[in-house]
Amino acid sequence: MSFLVRQISLTADGREIVRATSIAKSQLSLGRAAENDIHLPDLALEPDHARIEQVDERTVRLRATGTLGFELEGRTVLRAEIDPAQGAELRFGGHRITLSRGEDGATILSIRRIDAVSEASEEKEEARVFSLRGLLPGKRLTAWGLAVAILIGFLAVPIWSYASRPANDTRNIYTVAGDRSWSSGPLSQAHHALEGRCETCHQKAFVSVRDSACQTCHKDVHDHAPAARIAMARAEAGLGGKLLAGVAAAFGKPPEGACVDCHREHEGAGPMQPAPQAFCVDCHGTLKDRLKDSKIGNAADFGTSHPQFSALVQTRPGRYPSFLRRSLDGGPTDDSGLKFPHDIHLSATGGVAKMARTMKAQYGFGDALACKDCHKPTADGVRFLPVDMERDCQMCHSLAFETIGGTVRTLRHGQPDQVIADLRAYFRSTGPVEPPALGGVARRRPGDYAQGRIYHAYFGAAATRPSRADDAIRAVFSKGGACYDCHTVTPPGTNGNANWQVLPVHQPMRYMMNGWFDHAAHRTEKCESCHAAPRSHDARQLLLPKIDSCRTCHGGEKSKADVPSGCAMCHSYHIDDGAPWAPATPSLDKDMQDREKLTNSANPALPRMREPG
Amino acid sequence: MATPAASPIRRARGEVLHDGFLRHAGFRWLKIATITCVLSIASYMLVDVTPHHNGGSWYGYTMGTIGALLILWLTLLGLRKRAMTRGRWSLKAWTSAHVYLGLSLIVIATLHTGFQLGWNVHTLAYALMMLVILSGLFGITVYASLPTALSNNRAEMTQVQMLDAVRAIDRQLHDAAQPLTHEQAALVRQSLEDDPFGGGLVARLSGRYPRCATARAQAVLRHWTGDTPDTGNDPLERVDALLERKQAMLARLRRHLKLKALLEIWLYIHVPATFALLAALTAHIVSVFFYW
Repeated sequence: MSFLVRQISLTADGREIVRATSIAKSQLSLGRAAENDIHLPDLALEPDHARIEQVDERTVRLRATGTLGFELEGRTVLRAEIDPAQGAELRFGGHRITLSRGEDGATILSIRRIDAVSEASEEKEEARVFSLRGLLPGKRLTAWGLAVAILIGFLAVPIWSYASRPANDTRNIYTVAGDRSWSSGPLSQAHHALEGRCETCHQKAFVSVRDSACQTCHKDVHDHAPAARIAMARAEAGLGGKLLAGVAAAFGKPPEGACVDCHREHEGAGPMQPAPQAFCVDCHGTLKDRLKDSKIGNAADFGTSHPQFSALVQTRPGRYPSFLRRSLDGGPTDDSGLKFPHDIHLSATGGVAKMARTMKAQYGFGDALACKDCHKPTADGVRFLPVDMERDCQMCHSLAFETIGGTVRTLRHGQPDQVIADLRAYFRSTGPVEPPALGGVARRRPGDYAQGRIYHAYFGAAATRPSRADDAIRAVFSKGGACYDCHTVTPPGTNGNANWQVLPVHQPMRYMMNGWFDHAAHRTEKCESCHAAPRSHDARQLLLPKIDSCRTCHGGEKSKADVPSGCAMCHSYHIDDGAPWAPATPSLDKDMQDREKLTNSANPALPRMREPG
Repeated sequence: MATPAASPIRRARGEVLHDGFLRHAGFRWLKIATITCVLSIASYMLVDVTPHHNGGSWYGYTMGTIGALLILWLTLLGLRKRAMTRGRWSLKAWTSAHVYLGLSLIVIATLHTGFQLGWNVHTLAYALMMLVILSGLFGITVYASLPTALSNNRAEMTQVQMLDAVRAIDRQLHDAAQPLTHEQAALVRQSLEDDPFGGGLVARLSGRYPRCATARAQAVLRHWTGDTPDTGNDPLERVDALLERKQAMLARLRRHLKLKALLEIWLYIHVPATFALLAALTAHIVSVFFYW
């Protein structure tokens, strides 16, 4: 019974050196201590680690002396019996022991150190261990990984999303996400419902947005002027402009004048901004140079280069009035057919004011009449309704002429024929106890004027006390009569008329047909600051403010004025009768509300007076 | 290409032979990049784009084209650096231009965006570009400051010599620990089996190894030997001395690794981010023309 112990070690160049020792013992001790039969200088072993015993020819018994075992074919065990003829591989710490049977029947233990003395002693590749390789994923791998991921996520997916769009797209905008990452910014408020539905506007890949895409919904939008005229009106581009236009054309952009030129999208949520002044100035800045026949002057900036306003004024009143567009510079008059002195009515002293004071409670007048007492705004506040005799005048200017059983009889306003008929009827029936009250407005006296009450003007002149119908009719239509004070009256026989004629009154609600003025937006201003009504003694005086008056607050788009105003504030490119489109600006609205509160608290009785624009 | 005669003439004008890429040719590319930035900013102020600056205006497209071409050229350094040449278009000149023009891209690309950023592929490309530039900036900073520290730390040892020193100590530890009890030997084995290159990226960059087995082994050892006098033949004392030496060597090695890691780490961002940027730039440009 003997063991053959073969200690195998490697030289530096990898050659094996085998030292074989034959030990004629039936039992060997194995451990780190030097006195062992098999001495393995291995810190993983105990000084006395195990016993190897040859039990019989076919059995070798291994037994760990301590609690640390050894490995047999990969499993850690404390004891094992091995048939040397079959052999086995054992592992003690960093050493591998191969057990086999020699030709002479001896058990061969081939011992080989397989672990290096320390981790540092193991073979290291300098370039690897001293760099970050191994600690981080490789640069190449990361680079290609990221690149491919981005190309898939931000190129392939959006294109796939575009290509796989259902023909009838009824998806919710919040569920469409495929090409969301391509959107350069949110759409404006009005187009929010199209968010994520890129193809609504970007109809064909690599084809820029066309007007036809806009016109799918905006069917009624008409052009500013005939295309040929617009082409003629457009200022010729400079060298840079031509270059840009050339580049744009090369990239397939539509020629100038496309919807998207002015209406930019993806510029942020909230209302779309109105077209900047520059787009208008391209043509209108020097329009007269190119469109000689144009009736409108050059305009480049409201503050510095804008013609005087022109108003559509009535030059001839009547049933078929004629109108002319006149510049305010010439001091045009506007003859509505009505006689009316603003100054008397607005005076803080005098009969009108006195009368107003007596009617405070009933009509809400102040110490004197104010604009609002007669001028009523339209529902939207933009303009003013025509003055209505029954609503706005009659509280003072009564047309009552008789009371029968407590009912007041009134001459019918606006119907001269009915007036005549009523008066004839009055004289045909039982003779008047008192002559009818037919006096003109100038003859009313304070204290007895409320609507529906008769003022008996018994002073003097026989003409005021007609005893016959014709006299009464003449009296009412003639100077000093009820109609004559406000209206232009033509007696019978003139212009071939058989009867008395009252010139029809036409009160325009709008004077500036191409510009938009919103009284509601100016409610913080007093009426008088723009309209010189308190000094106007003649209704034909046009009380519209000139451009200089506006310029005290309004300047050009980029000016430092209180209210920088682009063209789009008053003018509409797609001209119609409505207001020019303007975005709701929350900050401005808030500012206006604040101002209103301030002004109202400072002056609660601030009149809300408006003039027709 | 520079004529062979050109170089001596330029040096004769007082240029230093070992002029770094940052100072190349009297900061020529720094000047060019500065002028580019000033011109870009001035034109941004002067050009009136309505309603406001954005990448889709003619000015935006111009800046975008310049920026994209610049990015492509900057990327070419990756190819160019593999061919070292001298002269006017030397690799050094190229690198100098790469650094300064790359920095000027911050201005050009930011003006291209018109400061309109969002969660989209366009801003992704911008963000990746900024990541590339900032990582490059970090790279320049460490290239300028760390080599001195690296060289001081090495004490004229090569990397392999540092590793061999650790190995030599390990071998001595192994031998010195043979007489120890199993428990004590296990402690030494911990130190031996600790990988000096182990301990993740954070440890490598910070140079802090709180779970260093050698330090722990020594601490426990000192606990045992603390109250016994050093008689000169206690194997524990010998092991203690060896652990001390190993710690010192490890500290030097780890400082070296830290400095090297700082010199390398930016490229792990710079290069992959560049590829990601090229992909995002492609998606950005295609998307703009796809939905034109």
